[in-house]
Amino acid sequence: MRLFVAGIRKLVRRPATYVTFGLLIGLLALIYIAVGATARQAATSSNGGRQALLLVTFPGAYSLLLSFILGLGGLFAMIYGAAVAGSEWTWGTLKAAVARGESRSRYQLLSFAAIGLMVGIGLVVAFGIGLVVAIVAAGLAGVPTTGLNDAATIGSLPELLARGWLALGEAAALGFAIATLARSQLAGIGVGIAVYFGEQFAAIFLPDVVKYLPFNAANAVVATSGSFGGGGGGGATIVRLDPNTALVVVAAWLIGGLIVTALFTERAEISG
Amino acid sequence: MTDGLALATRGLQKRYGSRTALVGLDLSVPSGVVYGFLGPNGAGKTTTMRLLTGLIHPDAGTIEVLGRPFGRGDRHRLFEVGALIESPSFYPYLSARENLRSLAAAGAPTARGRIEDLLEMVGLRERARDKVQTYSLGMKQRLGIAAALLSDPRLLLLDEPSNGLDPAGIVAMRETLKRLAASGKTVFVSSHILGEVQQLADVLGIVAAGRLVREGPIEQILAGEGRIRVRVAPSEIAAARAVLDGIVPGTTTLADEDEGWLSMPIAAERAADVNRALANSGIYASGLETGNDLESLFLELTAGDDTANHEGTFFGAAGATAKPGATARPTSPPAPGGGVDQ
Repeated sequence: MRLFVAGIRKLVRRPATYVTFGLLIGLLALIYIAVGATARQAATSSNGGRQALLLVTFPGAYSLLLSFILGLGGLFAMIYGAAVAGSEWTWGTLKAAVARGESRSRYQLLSFAAIGLMVGIGLVVAFGIGLVVAIVAAGLAGVPTTGLNDAATIGSLPELLARGWLALGEAAALGFAIATLARSQLAGIGVGIAVYFGEQFAAIFLPDVVKYLPFNAANAVVATSGSFGGGGGGGATIVRLDPNTALVVVAAWLIGGLIVTALFTERAEISG
Repeated sequence: MTDGLALATRGLQKRYGSRTALVGLDLSVPSGVVYGFLGPNGAGKTTTMRLLTGLIHPDAGTIEVLGRPFGRGDRHRLFEVGALIESPSFYPYLSARENLRSLAAAGAPTARGRIEDLLEMVGLRERARDKVQTYSLGMKQRLGIAAALLSDPRLLLLDEPSNGLDPAGIVAMRETLKRLAASGKTVFVSSHILGEVQQLADVLGIVAAGRLVREGPIEQILAGEGRIRVRVAPSEIAAARAVLDGIVPGTTTLADEDEGWLSMPIAAERAADVNRALANSGIYASGLETGNDLESLFLELTAGDDTANHEGTFFGAAGATAKPGATARPTSPPAPGGGVDQ
């Protein structure tokens, strides 16, 4: 517990926490305001414009917002996980803990648990801010917000957010594992980004395989009618797993990432 | 195998790929002493420190920490060990206090109030709220020493602890470590700075090319290592050398040709004999120093260590032997009253 609380305290103080979250919120707000300001006009002339209006049309906007956060947030969560894990090696702080007799795998897993909590908090806060921005954008687009109080959608939000948390946690766990294997913050982030975009690119050629890969599976855990932001690829024709199967696949990736992290750290020769 | 020892290694071996770092290291560190672990760069000091803290694992050999075996599954043994290995490791965006709190959450439990006491002890209380990224190297080093002491360890392992410290900081650190040893703790200090070790350590271990080449109480080791240095005019070096060789045949070495320093292994009490012999030959020394010479012993013992002979850092220190002055004096302090400046 001491280690978990210390992990939270470190993350709360860490600039990367706010930079990552700020970037996500900034992009989210930018896109939604842009959509709100232009979608009404675009909707009269193109199908894309009409689809964009869906982003700010409630109650469907709830799940699209979540899908959007998962698409973009998945990349940020991976970078965040990689940054935290990599810095433990780069700064030698893992070394210091191990030299004090701390269990290597326990240290890593509790560090990740702290990341998981921060990601969860980040998701809820981002969703809340996103909701406000979406309402503002709806106002700009002249779309009525009568669907905002749709009881069925609001009732499903806790489950959707929980699923989203797992999806972002999976991305963070993979970033964490990659940076641990690379023993470096920069290498971890670099490889993490390459994996993310590599997966999106591979979807063009290997859709049946890619649907099981971490980011596509993560985006499938939240069933949405639209495709905005899905897999970060936005609009590509992607074969998706059904949400429940995706949940199992995402959990497997998350657990796999943590097992790799724990095993590698236990066996690693720590120097530098 | 190791009664009364705080730390012991037997046949410790470690390889990094094709490079052998340790080839059967046998250390015996008594309890309650400051143990100086000397060696040139690349001799295996840091590898030993990493092995002693479980950061890496030996290819062969055994380690005992505080009288009990220390292997892969014995991390709890480190609860009684404090370590500063290589450079101090901290989160740059956290303050000194937050870093210590964060570290205290890992491994051995830390007593309430300990962090404040340590910040006071290392002189960082005033800056304890500042981010570590704003600290100088010396301040980080002091914080590293505080971190090593967090759990009030019985055994303290410090790798080059004076790195980056200013002279006052070095003196304070030396006194702190001596005080800790006097209170029954064992302090294991790795260094390649001979003067520091000579002033600090009770027991000495010299490692070269991955093996222990000398170990024992420092006075005992240096007892037979008396040395006198004589400075003459460069034009008189050959003649002076012949005179000195007449006292102890074949042992005089030219320490610094430019400055005219000659060196010979001889007890400090015979400084007057040396001076007289030179004067009788019409050679008048412009400088004469005596002292137990850890540097000479060190150079002799580590002569076969290729790593040492090719790396600049230690050679810089060794070079100081040949040029008595600001660097050389603290390294080989002349015996009180034994030196004559003419």
